[in-house]
Amino acid sequence: MQRIWLRGVAGIAAALAVGLVALTASGTLDATPDPATGLIAGASALAITIAIAILAGFLGYAALELLQTGRLDSIASQFGTRTLALMPIAIALNVVLGQTIGTALRMPIYLDSIGTILVGVLCGPLAGAATGILANVVWTFGLAGTPLGSPYAWPFAIVAAEIGLFAGLFGRAGFFRSRPDTPPDRLAAGAAVAVVVLAALAYLGILPAYLKGTLIDADLTTVEPFFIAVALGVAAGVAAAAVVLVVRLVRERDLGVAYVVVGGAACGVVSALIATPVAAIFFGGVTGGGTDLLVAAFQQAGSSLFEAVLQQSVISDPIDKTITFVVVFTILRSLPRRFVVRFPQGERALGEREG
Amino acid sequence: MALDAIGRPGPSLYHRLNPLTKVASAAVATLGAFLIGGYVAPALLFAGLVLPGALVARLLRRVVRLSLLVSLLISVSVALVSVLTRAGATTLFTIGPFDATLEGVDFAGRVIVRLVVAAAALTLFGLTTEPRALVADLERRGASPRLTFALAATLDAIPRMIERAVVVAAAQRARGLDTEGRLLARLRGLVPLVGPVLLSSLAEVEQRSLALDARAFGRRGPRHPVWSPPDSDRQRAVRWLLVLGLTAILAGRAVGAVPELP
Repeated sequence: MQRIWLRGVAGIAAALAVGLVALTASGTLDATPDPATGLIAGASALAITIAIAILAGFLGYAALELLQTGRLDSIASQFGTRTLALMPIAIALNVVLGQTIGTALRMPIYLDSIGTILVGVLCGPLAGAATGILANVVWTFGLAGTPLGSPYAWPFAIVAAEIGLFAGLFGRAGFFRSRPDTPPDRLAAGAAVAVVVLAALAYLGILPAYLKGTLIDADLTTVEPFFIAVALGVAAGVAAAAVVLVVRLVRERDLGVAYVVVGGAACGVVSALIATPVAAIFFGGVTGGGTDLLVAAFQQAGSSLFEAVLQQSVISDPIDKTITFVVVFTILRSLPRRFVVRFPQGERALGEREG
Repeated sequence: MALDAIGRPGPSLYHRLNPLTKVASAAVATLGAFLIGGYVAPALLFAGLVLPGALVARLLRRVVRLSLLVSLLISVSVALVSVLTRAGATTLFTIGPFDATLEGVDFAGRVIVRLVVAAAALTLFGLTTEPRALVADLERRGASPRLTFALAATLDAIPRMIERAVVVAAAQRARGLDTEGRLLARLRGLVPLVGPVLLSSLAEVEQRSLALDARAFGRRGPRHPVWSPPDSDRQRAVRWLLVLGLTAILAGRAVGAVPELP
């Protein structure tokens, strides 16, 4: 156990070291937009730095494991036979559900990461990341020339990898574990923590996109009233979501719902940060969906391209990922335990059987 | 759509090219169009990598039609968002509160050109390449059997899952599931729609994993594919040329040695 902790520390240290070096090399976060592209170089660098730091973290963990044991069991174990049998199903789910169910329900959400999240939770973060990447590659190259194919899916492979990674890490930490019949005192404490975390995510990760800073340090006199109104609307939305969460917790008494909502929101905020430069650089900030209206509205109100895409992403991505996390959580609850525990991370995802 | 079953020669010289050559061509055209940008570079990539192949394969009209269809929705979005809301100094016309600017038109034009070129390159690849042939070729070249299995199994799983999703959606609607009503009703419809599709698909996972174990899938050692697509030194050289050429251009742009084209 101690050796595993050491590997974790090595991974975190490697991630922090690489992140600090990369941030130092790129300079302080430059908020000046490029007049040609509208991109803010600093935010793109931050997104890339996060991705490289996470990769460095895994390499650090793997390097120490190789030194300690001479093998890479933590990686190899995530890609056993059951994972390989699940991955094609998961990728097909991403492609098919995103196209059919999303269209049938006419919802402004993507639903194209259910399979990725499922593999991440059941098989591990690397398996989840690999599923995300493969799904986007198959969507572009494997289905090219067919009605289901999308020539524009491949740049978002990095976002899909991040989603699979987060799902795997949250699954490992037990976020997708059902916690039925939680005692009222623990339920109240859990609800309070969840509400505080959601508020922190909104305060630090969502509202600054509109206010050009946190509520404490933003100079609101320089912010257009439109964006202040949007920020208020978003804050009200987050508050409403927190109320719905508390009501659901009281009704179902399953604290697992709080964990999965918080996990989904956090994953969504990070997804928005990584997806924004991809959408802005490759596709002029649009995806061909209804969310493009938001980009148009923000750009019309004075935002640069990058700002407008970020302002749209921090609304749609957390909503989409939270809903998807809850759907996967609900489905996992209904799967037979003996089926789930056969996956590499299944037992950790479900937790120990009670009684 | 795949035109030939794996193993049978294609109807044209372009169809008969090694799948990796066609992937390299599509990937270089796509990446080049997006990363180099402008109007001239994507047009040159189309003229050099897509047009000759489409002509030889006698698929030009189909490639153009499909690529325009695929890129239509996103192109309209780009046009509307960029032309009407992107800030610019030269106003062309005004519609209500929206000023259409020359800068917006130029930006939309640059994005749409690369979207169409990328769609054309990938459509040509999709129409002339059997995905299983690509997977077989990757396996022959030493790609991980796990990776090639995942790719091949995914291509098999998708059509089956489509049928399943359509049947489940129809069945649930027949049972009274509301898919047309208010947002909350539609949100509640997610699990009854996703659940049966997912659960019935997961039932296959156990059987597949047992079948893989029974066939010694995890066995180490060399594998000998029954069939793999032919390749040639000339195609190998072309692939390297394409990849190194794009890398050189991008590196040249990064250091300022290659000028930016309009």
